[in-house]
Amino acid sequence: MLELQAITAGYDRKAPVVRDVTLSVAPGESVGLLGPSGCGKSTLARVAALLHRPDAGTLLLDGDPVRRWRHRAPCAQRTAIGVVFQQPRLSADPRLRLTDLIAEPLRATGRRDEVRERVAELAPSVGLTPDLLDRRPHEVSDGQLQRACLARALLLRPRWLICDEMTAMLDASTTAALVAAVEEYRSATGAGLLAVGHDQVLLGRWCDRTVSWEKLTSTEAGE
Amino acid sequence: MSRRSTRTVRVRISAALVAATVLAVLLVPPLVQLDQQAVDLSSKLLSPSWSHPFGTDDLGRDLFLRCVYGLRVSLLVGAAAALTATVIGTAIGAIAGALGGRADRALMRLVDTFSSVPHLLLGIFIVAMFRPGVWPVIVSVALTHWLSTARIVRAEVLSLRARPYIDAAISGGASRWRVAVRHLLPAVLPQAALAAVLMVPHAMWHESALSFLGLGLPTHLASLGNLIQGARGSLLAGQWWPTLFPGLFIIVPTLAIAGLAGAWRERINPRRRSELML
Amino acid sequence: MTAPVLSVRGLSVRFLMPSGRRIAAVTDAHFDVAAGECLALVGESGCGKSVLASALLGLLPANAQAAGGAYLGDVDLLAADERTLARTVRGRLIGLIPQSPAAHLTPVRTVRSQLEETVVALTGTRGRAAVRQAAEAAAERAAFPAGHLDHHPHELSGGLAQRAATALALIGNAPLLLADEPTTGLDRDLVHHTVDELRRQVDVGRRALLVITHDLAAAERIADRMAVMYAGRIVEISDATAFFGLPGPRHPYSRGLLGALPERDFIPIPGMPPELGDLPDGCAFAPRCERATPTCTTLPAAAAGLVCHHPHVTEDLRA
Repeated sequence: MLELQAITAGYDRKAPVVRDVTLSVAPGESVGLLGPSGCGKSTLARVAALLHRPDAGTLLLDGDPVRRWRHRAPCAQRTAIGVVFQQPRLSADPRLRLTDLIAEPLRATGRRDEVRERVAELAPSVGLTPDLLDRRPHEVSDGQLQRACLARALLLRPRWLICDEMTAMLDASTTAALVAAVEEYRSATGAGLLAVGHDQVLLGRWCDRTVSWEKLTSTEAGE
Repeated sequence: MSRRSTRTVRVRISAALVAATVLAVLLVPPLVQLDQQAVDLSSKLLSPSWSHPFGTDDLGRDLFLRCVYGLRVSLLVGAAAALTATVIGTAIGAIAGALGGRADRALMRLVDTFSSVPHLLLGIFIVAMFRPGVWPVIVSVALTHWLSTARIVRAEVLSLRARPYIDAAISGGASRWRVAVRHLLPAVLPQAALAAVLMVPHAMWHESALSFLGLGLPTHLASLGNLIQGARGSLLAGQWWPTLFPGLFIIVPTLAIAGLAGAWRERINPRRRSELML
Repeated sequence: MTAPVLSVRGLSVRFLMPSGRRIAAVTDAHFDVAAGECLALVGESGCGKSVLASALLGLLPANAQAAGGAYLGDVDLLAADERTLARTVRGRLIGLIPQSPAAHLTPVRTVRSQLEETVVALTGTRGRAAVRQAAEAAAERAAFPAGHLDHHPHELSGGLAQRAATALALIGNAPLLLADEPTTGLDRDLVHHTVDELRRQVDVGRRALLVITHDLAAAERIADRMAVMYAGRIVEISDATAFFGLPGPRHPYSRGLLGALPERDFIPIPGMPPELGDLPDGCAFAPRCERATPTCTTLPAAAAGLVCHHPHVTEDLRA
């Protein structure tokens, strides 16, 4: 289970953007988190990905409480979760060729020898052709770059996937292709998914269940 | 179009002058088998002529040779000081930006403290603590010139640190060290290298200023500052060449280096690259 | 039918890259937009639709070459010099509705002062009271509430910022409105709202509206006619009702794009669009097309707003 319990988080302790939110994702389950832009759902996604330390609340990852965040979190916990963000341009190191971009997590965890095989295996599954792998981010389109970012997130075979507005910048066909790639990975591995977005139709079609941000926060009385 | 071409011309002139400077300091000493230190009192303070194009100084030494040797010393000291300052500045800026929090505040207060003292004064104070020599000058110039680099690098690191690609690297299992070395440092290196080159002329001026004040390089070393300092007496007597030529040797190469570095800065600014708007 | 406001004839744009490569961003585009009509130009990002908009506004970068014609009244937008474009076209003949209104507004000035400045620049209204009145009228036309006129852009919600930007675009009373990705990144409610506002300008103001977007749901809500662009070429122009309803799109690409929507089949088109610098001979969609035959290596002739050898015709749709 990926369990967010009574999470309060934000960038200013006096005005947290996430207040006392509880949400859990079971193994193999896909949960859509639906909310308007700027509501704090991305912050919650960052907490779930161990990238933002909450001010209060507990995150349980497969039963173990997470006590450390970002670099300090144990590598095994961090890499159990794959993350894809909204803007591929900002999520890609502009100096890396797409192969190296995708392979970075293997290199970072000292498993260089698997790079060639894993990249060759992943690239077609996200729809990337070999000629694209040699290019740098500014030489490919947003859609192609997002495909590479998804491949990077899948590289270490995470048990959990967090897609934060993964397709908000993309056209209908690329959206459908990326969602299909995520679902193919999930059906092969049984990974759980937290998909954050503002498109009700998309999340409804993609996920087992969707929860709206208002519902999650309405238990909290207040302004 | 015309603005563009004047810029091109300026860059070409700068490049030619920098090339001439480098060639002069590399080739003149081995090719001209004359001793720049050779004293010849019978030919002291000769005005420029065919045999002595820049004239001679008050000890009869050839000023052209003295200037070339002086330029070599000043360039080396300037480059060494600029490099040292850049390394210090990049390290401190990167550490402050990457660690953040208390370390960042402490390091930035240090930068503010250094900045609050006029840096020539601070430089004089530092050289005064040592015996005259090349190293004290390099240290003095370096210790007074790393501040702006530290600020630039820190700001750059701070803005990069908030990028999702850093988050993605952390999520992929990258250690703090790997994030710093593989993702942050390569992004700030072009800026730091540019800052280093832009600093060379400034460092040369500082070396000259210190030497002119008699606090810099030992007087027997033909640095440009020393040459001008030594020529003060002759200038009052109406002999202009021992001041003018070393002065030109400071001004022209430093302007040329600054000109080239400016063109480079425009090139590495990614927003100027004309990319497809697709 | 009335004479079109904008008439694009054989518009092509080529980029010359430093490497010597030529990139065919737009190829032989033909379309009209009439008063009181909205044409939506849709396609994937990178298909050339934004370049087309830039060409109409004379905002192409220096390494681009445009050919063909784009006529707005008696002005040829492609032949006009910068002076004409600045003085008579932008704002006066074409009102631009920007992609991100928040970035389009000057952050340090109130909405009122920006509206008043534009009123003075575009309409020649003089006198403090007259300018004030004209600015308030402009705000009202875009349904921007008068009570928010003295706010700065950061104090406005996304919807109000969009209305402020629309108010600015309407001041010059331009016969053609050009909206470039007006709904990107907006929430669905705000998309509907923005699109309905734009539609109102078409219906009430009898303006011509060209909307460039990759958001098919937004296009369905606003457009009278659809133009679908693929790899720099407009491959289909159809009536919007027929396109989204029955009989549906005629070009296999349009059909695939529509089918990829989560409210429909949610099935992607296989493969990826070709490089604009390296287009195949013939139909650029053929490598991804299930209907492709050897004929598709030759370029299909444009007929009835369609560039395809094997279009879907009504008989195919008995299902």
